[in-house]
Order: sequence, then structure tokens, then C-alpha cells
Amino acid sequence: MSEKKKWYSLDLGLNRKKSDTTCGCGKTEGGCGSHKPEMTDDAFLEAAVNASIGEEVRKDGFEQVFDVKMDRRSAFKKLTASLLIGAGAVSTSCSVISGDDSKEKAQIDWEEQFKGNYKLMNDDEKKATVDRLMRSYELRTGKNISMTAENAADDVLFGYAFNISKCQGYMDCVNACVEENNQDRDSQMQYIRIHEMKDGKGFNFNEADDNYYHEVPAEGHFYMGTQCFHCDNPPCVEVCPVSATWREDDGLVVIDYDWCVGCRYCMAACPYDGRRFNWSKPEVPEAEINKNQHYLGNRMRKKGVMEKCTFCVQRSRKGQNPACVEACPTGARIFGNLLDPKSTIRWVLENKKVFRLKEDLGTEPKFWYFMD
Amino acid sequence: MNRKYDIHILACTFLVVLFSCKHSEGEYHNLNDKIEAESKNYHGTAISSEGLIDGVKTVEITEGEHTFLIPERKSQIKSFACIECHNTGLDKLQSKDIKKAHWDIALAHADENTMNCATCHNGDEMNSLHTLTGNKIDFNNSYKLCAQCHSSQFEDWKGGAHGKKVAGWAPPRASYTCVNCHNPHDPGFKSRWPSRYNTEQVEAPQAESGH
Repeated sequence: MSEKKKWYSLDLGLNRKKSDTTCGCGKTEGGCGSHKPEMTDDAFLEAAVNASIGEEVRKDGFEQVFDVKMDRRSAFKKLTASLLIGAGAVSTSCSVISGDDSKEKAQIDWEEQFKGNYKLMNDDEKKATVDRLMRSYELRTGKNISMTAENAADDVLFGYAFNISKCQGYMDCVNACVEENNQDRDSQMQYIRIHEMKDGKGFNFNEADDNYYHEVPAEGHFYMGTQCFHCDNPPCVEVCPVSATWREDDGLVVIDYDWCVGCRYCMAACPYDGRRFNWSKPEVPEAEINKNQHYLGNRMRKKGVMEKCTFCVQRSRKGQNPACVEACPTGARIFGNLLDPKSTIRWVLENKKVFRLKEDLGTEPKFWYFMD
Repeated sequence: MNRKYDIHILACTFLVVLFSCKHSEGEYHNLNDKIEAESKNYHGTAISSEGLIDGVKTVEITEGEHTFLIPERKSQIKSFACIECHNTGLDKLQSKDIKKAHWDIALAHADENTMNCATCHNGDEMNSLHTLTGNKIDFNNSYKLCAQCHSSQFEDWKGGAHGKKVAGWAPPRASYTCVNCHNPHDPGFKSRWPSRYNTEQVEAPQAESGH
């Protein structure tokens, strides 16, 4: 690890020889107080969470914030509980009884907790955090995932075009997106919305239906999709108080899920309804998890962070099309490199009559609509 | 003295305003300018689609100023080569003793005044197709037949506004050809129910209307 690390590391002796099992008190077993009776990790977490937030786990987001009775006693209780979690991490790693796995897990949790902003990391640091996340997943579930942290390539600026006359409302794109990006099945999160609009009324989002379920295409209607438009001048990035979201050099607007504090300013700032919030812990059945992940893309999110379409960064930076483009049976979705004068997206922009939504806002979305 | 001081303050304020008005991303006036300027020195990217289309047999075509790959077709047709059966006249093949073939094909493309089997299939040489004027067309280049009538779709397809890519966005460009998405005997897309995975919300509106 380099000298210029941007976070504190807790040296718990993991990297030293195995025989060195003393903890801070100097004794090798019992008696110093930090060798507490062993609890399983899950049980410990459960107890800690229960002590700190208790019944709020079962409350909806709004109620969690506003429907909380807080007196001095419960405030102290919460404070103690969070201290307990921290002490737990230290005690597990110091403990002689707990296995190597839980020690390693505690070490990983510690380093993850105090790592820096992804945007400021160099390639080694990015690799280190990705490795930690993969190892942590392996320790928790016994299964392997592959996670990468490819940077934006030179001479690439991603752009997207949507053919309104081709879209038939089949919603295959929505499906593909949910499966590709490990979106929460419980809250039925979807990055893409397909709007069913009445012919002759133009883009009337107030009367559009994005939750239709009938045979499509319906008589007298047309369909158009919205998702994150990856604006070149993104208002969501401007308002983020902690720089957890930014525009990459290839034009993708991305989120560091570990840096996001869940204030939802970006959600309010986005004029296109492009951002989604996790009110609960995202749940995906183990068998359905897409294990090809990117740090900024479809890796598993946690409760209380923002997420959104990333133009499938885990695919597009490898040269593949986003899952929605690949899934569309009618070819209504065009994706490519805006800087390549010979790319098909450039041909569309130069030869079709294209427009963008709310162009007058100056957000410069990189998502164009066109018709045959 | 005081006046000189004022001028200094004024000058400083002016400078501060001048710099603060400059947008931090203000290199370009708008996105189009940025695309135009940054693509002037475009030398290609390190990302390539080659690995992605490795398993697909392709042929290269050049139409106008566009050169790209399309999937090879003949190896994908189940009963090619056609002359394995079509080595005698059709009247002999239509006898009752021989097993029926192509029974599932019903032409639903334009109307009977415009099209029948022989509009595209070459009765004299079943292994290839032919244009309206009788020129031979290889099965791999069947898009040339479609282009005879669907000229605007053909223009869009050449440019990349119509149709789909085989795998990735990166060069080399490999695009699906007409018959990869459209059944030439029944080219229209059918109406169907939308796929609604991850959405049991579908039940919600019905349940509410029952109240």
C-alpha cells in the first residue's frame, strides 16, 4: 500500500505472523476485558441494529424520519449502541477465540469505513477497494463475484438516441435493466420508465401512463422511454453536498454508493426523474444476482443511498451495449461514441431530426429522441 | 488619495467578477461544440468490439460510404442448400408421395398484387434470390431485395438509425441485417403483452378499482 493513503488503517496484526495473537492488553487469553464471549456476526449485527434503531426497521421511510419519539434516555441508548458497533469491530479483531475469517471481515469493514472518495483514488486504491468488496462478499456468502473499476477510456463520450416511432412498449428494456443492474425486487425499482402517450397530444407527461399492463402497442398511443440522460451539465452533481456523484470523462454521471449520505438533493434537482432512492435494503435472490459488477455500476447497494442508470458502466466500458439497447426487440435504442465521427450515433445526430427533453434548461442531456 | 484607493477596489472587484463568471466547465459553449471540437483529433479508442463478435460469422458489405459487417446468412438457414430438394421442377415436388415442406410459410408481406414467392425467390436457380429485374442476389445479401421497396429504411439502416448492432458500440461496426429481426415472409412486429418482471404493481390498479 502506498504511503499517501487517504484513510486511516487499523493495523490489527493480520499481516503479521500468526503466532502473534496477543491483544492490546498483553495477555494471550481472557481477563483483559476485551475478550468477550463470542457472538456470531449476524446475531451481533442484529442485536446492535435492534438496540440502535429498533422497530424503525419495519417502518416506511417517511415514518422513520418523522415518527420517532426521542427522549434523552433513547438518545443515549443510540449513542451507546453505535459505540458498541465500533467496539465490536475492535474486539472481534483482537479476540483470540474468533476465527481468522471474522478478523479479516472486521479489518475489511474498518478499511471500507474509512476509505476515501472514489473520485480521489488512484488506480491502486481503486483496485484495493474492489478487492476488499469482493473478498467481503465471499466471506459473507461463500460465493464469488467479479468486480472491476475500469476508468473512462480516452476519446470516448457516450451518447444515446431513442427512436419514438420504433418503440412499441414491450418493456423488454425494463426487464433487462432490472436483471443486469441488480435492482431491488422488493420495492420493484426500475431505472427506465416507458410512457404510454396519447396520439395527438404530444409529450404530455401528466396524462401519460408508465404503469400500463395490456396488449401493446395500444391503438391511438405512442411510447417513449426515459431514464438518466447523463447530462453534460448535470444539476444533480452541482447540488450534492458531499461530492458523491460526478460526471466521468466519458460522460457517465455516476454515484459512489459508499460516499452517498442519502440526502436526496440530487433527486430533487434532476428535472427528468432520473434518480432512485433505496428506502429499504435492496434484496435480490442470490441465484439472480448479476455477478459481473463495476464499482460505479451494478454492485449491490445498501439502504439509504441513491442509484440510477449508469448506461451499464460495467458493460459499456468493455465495449458492450447497455442491457436495454441489447434487449430492445425493435431497435429503438441507439448507443455509441459521440466523439467517433464514423459512429452510428453521430450519423443519427447529423441525419435525423433529433431533440432532447427540456433543452432550454441548459442541462445538455446526452440522450436524444428522433423519429423515422 | 482616497479616489485612487477607490479605483483599486473597483479594479479588484471587476477582476473577481470577471473570473467568477467563468463557469468551471466553461470550455465549450454547448455540447455540440464540445463534440465537434473533441472529435476533431479522434484517433480511435482502445475499446474494440472484436472479441464480442468473435463467435458470429460475418461478411463485410459496402453500401455508399458505409462499410460494415453483417451476419453471414447461408449457414444459418436450416434447409440450405435449396437445390438439395429443388433439383427438379416444382410440379414434380408437389406430388403427394413426397414429404411436405415449407407448409408453415404463409406470405403476409404486402398484398398478392405486389408480392408472391417468385418476387424474391429465383425459380430458375433456387440457391439464390433475384431482384425485380431478374438480377441474381446471394442469400447473404438479402437486404438488397428489401431495399428495392423500403428505401428510406435502407438509408436509415446503412447509417445506423434503423436496426441493431450485433454486440457492442465500439468499432468494428457489425449490424444485424433485415432478416435477423424481420421474418421476410411476415415482417411486421406483433402486438403482445409487455414483459413485466419485477412489477407486481400490475395488480394494484385492479385491486383499487374493486373498492
